[in-house]
Amino acid sequence: MAKVYRSAVIDAPAEVVWAYVRDFNALPKWHPAIATSEIEGGLSSDRVGCVRRFTRRSDGGLLREQLLALSDVDRTFTYNILISPMPVANYVATMRFTPITAGNKTFAEWWAEFDVTSGPEQVTVTDIGDNVFVAGFASIGSKLAKH
Amino acid sequence: MTKVFVSAVVDAPIEQVWGKVRDFNGLPQWHPRFSRSHIEDGLPSDRIGCVRNFDIAGGGGTIRERLLTLSDLDHTFAYCILTSPLPVEGYVAALTLYPVTVGNKTLGVWTAEFRVTNGKEADVVEAVGNGTFGKAFEVLNEFFATRR
Repeated sequence: MAKVYRSAVIDAPAEVVWAYVRDFNALPKWHPAIATSEIEGGLSSDRVGCVRRFTRRSDGGLLREQLLALSDVDRTFTYNILISPMPVANYVATMRFTPITAGNKTFAEWWAEFDVTSGPEQVTVTDIGDNVFVAGFASIGSKLAKH
Repeated sequence: MTKVFVSAVVDAPIEQVWGKVRDFNGLPQWHPRFSRSHIEDGLPSDRIGCVRNFDIAGGGGTIRERLLTLSDLDHTFAYCILTSPLPVEGYVAALTLYPVTVGNKTLGVWTAEFRVTNGKEADVVEAVGNGTFGKAFEVLNEFFATRR
């Protein structure tokens, strides 16, 4: 089982960041790698068990991910991958946002566990960690800074 | 029940920050609000259940706290107050460090829950939150800034 963990400081209050990212259907709004997204079956995106169906900007690749947990108390959500063009299986990931009281900023964490199904494990781990997670943090920070 | 939550980025890698704060008997060595400390009954300071006996600097009195949790895996420790001059009861606190991988820094989160026994909740929250926890993160940043 491979594990990846990334964390960063986002220069906006935790309530602001959480309001921006808690929508499970909002990936195209804040992640530069994602083009389109919809929630299957017309469910609301904060309904645990709902499935988001979204496409990558680079190649149109389709992903389906299911929301497993969502907490407005801990500002966290957890999901797994049902279908993905990435060489992974048994993929479960969590995002969590914690207030930084000194400076009124946000500590953002994103971690995942999964099996790599082809190719060198470290390549996929680094790709997800840097190109998905850290790229997401950077994009959230720059988009909220403009508001 | 009153809750205090204070968090700050410390500009040093987590293993360095953890190495600085992990010793349950070492508080006066890095926190200016406290002086003199020993572990009662000659126990080692990483033994769960040990009691640290230390002074508030400037003659503010003695505090005794029991170590409840220590984890080198999660970079956290928790403790409760046994006796102190503070107007609190049921006081349990924890310090947890998280790695900030972007920039190789550390997030410190220090929390406490307690009941205030003299009715002056705002004063106690200020003393614990900014006076103790917030001050700790300030001096840790000053310490690591001078080492660079």
